[in-house]
Parts: sequence; structure tokens; C-alpha cells
Amino acid sequence: MANIAAQRIKREFKEVIKSEEVAKCAIKVELLNDSYTELKGEIAGPPDTPYEGGNFILEIKVPETYPFNPPKVRFITKIWHPNISSVTGAICLDILKDQWAAAMTLRTVLLSLQALLSAAEPDDPQDAVVGDSIKKILKCPHANSDCDDKIKRLVDMGVEDHQARVALSSYNWDLERATEQLFS
Amino acid sequence: MADVRDINWQRYCYNFYNSRECPQGEGCTYPHKARFEVEQIQYTLGDDFFLGKLRTNQRVCRFFRRGNCIHQQNCHYRHDNDDTIRHLPKYNQQNGNNRDTNCDTSSSELPSTSFEPQDVTNKNSINMIQIKGDAQELTSGQDYIENKENNLEIQEEEGACASPPLNSMNESWVNAPEFVPKNIIAARPRSYAEALSPEAIAEKNASKKLCPYVNKDGICRNLTDCTYLHGEMCDMCERLVLHPYNEEQRKRHRQECIKQHEKNMELSFAIARSKEKSCGVCFEVIMEKANGEQRFGILPNCNHCFCLSCIRKWRQARQFENKIIRACPECRVTSDFVCPSMYWVDTKEDKEKLINDYKKALSRKDCKYFKKGHGKCPFGNKCFYLHAFPDGSKCDVGPPPRQRRPRNVETEIDVLQQVMLWDFLDERDFPWQSLADDLEDLVSFFTDSDESDWSDYELFYD
Repeated sequence: MANIAAQRIKREFKEVIKSEEVAKCAIKVELLNDSYTELKGEIAGPPDTPYEGGNFILEIKVPETYPFNPPKVRFITKIWHPNISSVTGAICLDILKDQWAAAMTLRTVLLSLQALLSAAEPDDPQDAVVGDSIKKILKCPHANSDCDDKIKRLVDMGVEDHQARVALSSYNWDLERATEQLFS
Repeated sequence: MADVRDINWQRYCYNFYNSRECPQGEGCTYPHKARFEVEQIQYTLGDDFFLGKLRTNQRVCRFFRRGNCIHQQNCHYRHDNDDTIRHLPKYNQQNGNNRDTNCDTSSSELPSTSFEPQDVTNKNSINMIQIKGDAQELTSGQDYIENKENNLEIQEEEGACASPPLNSMNESWVNAPEFVPKNIIAARPRSYAEALSPEAIAEKNASKKLCPYVNKDGICRNLTDCTYLHGEMCDMCERLVLHPYNEEQRKRHRQECIKQHEKNMELSFAIARSKEKSCGVCFEVIMEKANGEQRFGILPNCNHCFCLSCIRKWRQARQFENKIIRACPECRVTSDFVCPSMYWVDTKEDKEKLINDYKKALSRKDCKYFKKGHGKCPFGNKCFYLHAFPDGSKCDVGPPPRQRRPRNVETEIDVLQQVMLWDFLDERDFPWQSLADDLEDLVSFFTDSDESDWSDYELFYD
């Protein structure tokens, strides 16, 4: 059993080293011991995300029952991400849990993690604090073009930008009531 | 099968062998050997050569010794022409007590009336020839010789005796121990039946049996004297199995050979396409795995390649949901069962055929849950295995129970009495899972070894 796991990791290791992603410096794997049970992974932050330019180190532990069970992966590098614990680095990703498939490899796992960085799932958070705050950010009216539109209309009426913003937000972005309040 | 690469076998000139005459004379490509020197193994009609090997023990023709051999110089046995005559008087003087040792034809003694009954050991052949005065009884050797070229059978010794003496014996026939009248037997048909209806003879020939020794070992030791027919070589299987006269048998054999050949071709194609295939789970090349593990597990609903042990292990993984483990590890397409196969199948038709064969094979095995009527099969009529009573009559057990109610009547528990404990644990740990789930577990639970046929149990649920 353990033999299968070691044999497979050996093959996968070669596969990762040969893969295109390594050439693009997107992923990297290093062996930590001779028995192929512990590895160090590294993924680059995906472009066009806040993580761009960062390098994230991962700890990969291969169970004896691999590949029938998923490898245990966690982030060593501290990261602010709703699905990754900011304290322990534990990852909430379905393929590392109940959606694992025996045909998945180290390479596909690392690529999935990279994809996770670019597409966070705040509804299923690992880190509740990060999840909440990211939800707030996502709900933030400033991100909504509709709000900008309302502010602009008030500004056009001669109200100052800051005043308009305060009025609108205190009436839950109701343009009519904010207008009433401003001009009453 | 005759091994044509036998180092002792060589090509010899057939013309010389056949008639002691070769149009090419000394310039012939093949060595000239007379019949008594070589043993013919194989000859294809129309060839200039035949495959043969040198006789290690050249026997002396006993008819020649008596002064007459119908085969003359074409005899399969040695005719020690002049030597015999030259040594004859000398031999008589010695009166048989001293063997002529400086002559390699020591066995060429001519039996004469003056001889006392005695046993003569033939140095070259180990045959014991008992000579009793005039009445010569041959206690060993063949009772008759088949002349294959003329297809004449000499049924009795007398027939062989009644032949013209050799030319070289012309001056010596007067010295022959007894007078044998000339009879040109070879020139006329052997029997009335033969003379009347040659077709009947052909028919008789056609029904003659081929030599069982050739069939068995490829070589008949009695090549020249065999009473059976020796077949011609089939160019496909390279065995001497084509009946020389029976056209139907030839045709049949040819068809068999072609069929066999196609089978071999298919097999080699199968091996060729399976050779490089690696398992999606263990990543090893399946054909290079250890013995007993070189089997493919074919999923009916997708085209991904796994070795049987890996895919079965994956499908028995208990830590995942049923939906996950029943899906292909690569594409997540759900398949209801795994079909074991020695080779990889590419095309849809091959796959369908393989799966049908597999189901057919399983349907002949008794279901271990049904137990010939003593138990109940949880898979119902969707089970691949045979549900039959001991008398052989089949039984339709109806569709499998769709769902088991958690705290339902005892009959249901009866159905699965073997797994009661398991069920209990299962239900305690997991609130409720489908029956399907349990059964799959059950299968893996009772499957202790990979080679067990029962691991073929797979589950059907929609």
C-alpha cells in the first residue's frame, strides 16, 4: 500500500518537474524526505488578483493510502483568504476532502489551489473573520456602480460629494429619502 | 509440429532420391543421396528438393538378400550389390561361424539351404532375423511396406518377393537360394476392385486416416513404413495435416487455420494497443505490472484506463460518498460496474462484446447470496449471477428492494441477515443512506481478496 503511494508520488514528482507550469514558475514541488511522504509545494499568486506577485509555500503530507485518499495540504505562508485559515493555513477545498478522485495528482492539486486563490468562496469559509469581512467588502456599496450613479445625481443637484455619500448611506441608499433629508 | 529448423534436416535432391537420376548431374544444388541413405521427412509436390535426414542405421533390404526386390535401386533399404556376391562364396566357406568383419556389409549374408537354423545379429540394425532353413520367418520388422510414390500397397511378403531381380543381380540369380517366379506386379492394378472402379479407390483413400503420430508429435518414426497416410504440410500452421486425397478435410482444415490466424491477429492487436496503457490511479503501465495484476478494469460508461485492482480498490473506498467512488476517478462519469479484461478495448463494439461476454460468464455462476434458493439476493433480478435452484431451474427473484425502511419489519432484516451488525454500525454512524450504499459496502466488506470472484458484485441503482 505504502508502496503504491511512494511509487505514485515518484512518478508525479517527475511529471510536475516536466510540466509547463514549472517552466512558467507557477508551481513547484520539493521533496522533504526520502520516503516521499512529505513535500514542499510552492504556488505563485495568480495574475489579476490581490495575490499576484506573491509566492505561497505549501506543506504536503502524503498519506499511506494515497491515491485512494487525498494528500493533506496546508499553507505555510500566511494568507488572507476566506477558504484558508489565516492561523493554521488549513484549506477548505472540496477536492482535498470528499470530492477527491484517485486520478488527481500533485500537479492538479496545486493548480486547483491556484484557482482557489483567484476564485474565493466566501459562502463556505474556513476562516470566519476573513469570510465575513470579505462579504462586507463585496457588499460594499462603493463597489456598486449604482451607488456612484446616485451620488453623482446628488452632486449634480449641488450637494457635496461627502455629504451625499453620508446621506445616501444613512438611508440605505434610498435616493428619494436622502434627497428629502438633504433639502428639508 | 514438425520443426523444420532441426539441424539434422537438410535439403536433398528429390530427382536423385526418386529415380537415382538427376538431370543436373554433378552440378545439382542439392546433395544426391539414395533412398537407403536418407529418410524423407517432408516433400512438397513440385519441388526439386525434399527435407530429409541421414539414416543413422541403414538397414539391409531383406528381399534383396533373398535375391529379389521390386524396388530395385529405389528401395529404402540398402542393396549391397556386388559385395554381396563377391562375399558369398567366402561366406559359405566360413559357414557362418566367422563374421566377415572387414566388410561393412556383414549383414548381407544370403540365407541358403545349407545354413543351420541360427540367429544372426545384424550389426547395423538391431533387428534379429531368424532363419530357419527354407522357411524363412521374419519375426521383426514390418509385415508390409507401403510404396508411397506408386500408392501401391504390398500387402504380403509374397508380393514383395514376386518381383523381378535387380539388373546387377542378373549373373547371380542362378545362385539364389530358391526360385521365385517373375511377376510384374507393379505394372498392374493390385485388385479387381481397383481395376473396376478407380473412384471407389479414391473414396477409400479419402476415408483413410492420417498418421496419429504425425498429428501428435509432428514426426512419425516409421516415416517410410507407416501404414497410415502422411498428410501434406499446411502452409499456415506448418503441420503435416492436409489429407492428400480428402478435399473436404483440406478445406475444413484451411478454414480452421484461417480462423486461428485471425484470432492470433486480433490477439496481437489487442496486446499492441494494451502495451502502453497505464493505470490512471497507480500510473503504472498495466502490462508491466506484477503477474496477476496485469488486468484492466473497464468502465462501461467512459473510456479511461485503470488496472482492475486499482479501480476496484477505489470503488470500495469507504471514506467517500457513493457517488464519488462509483464515478470514474478521471472524468467522474458514473459506471455501475467494472468489467475485468486481459486487454484494453478501444472501440465501442469491442467493449460491448467484452461486457456481454463478461455478463454471460457471470450468469453461469451461482449467486452466493441466492445460495441456490436458500438465501435471498439483495440485487434481485439485476444481479449478474445465476439464480437457480439445485435442480437447475432458474428463478426470477424480482427487482431488488429499492429502499429499506430503517425500523421496518424483520423480513427486511432477514434479507440482509449477514450484514446486520454492519448495518447497525452503519446506521448508528450515518443517519440514513440508500440501500445501494450499504450493499456496495457489504460487497467490499465480504471481499477479502482481490482475486475473489465475489468482488465482481456490483450494484445497480438509478
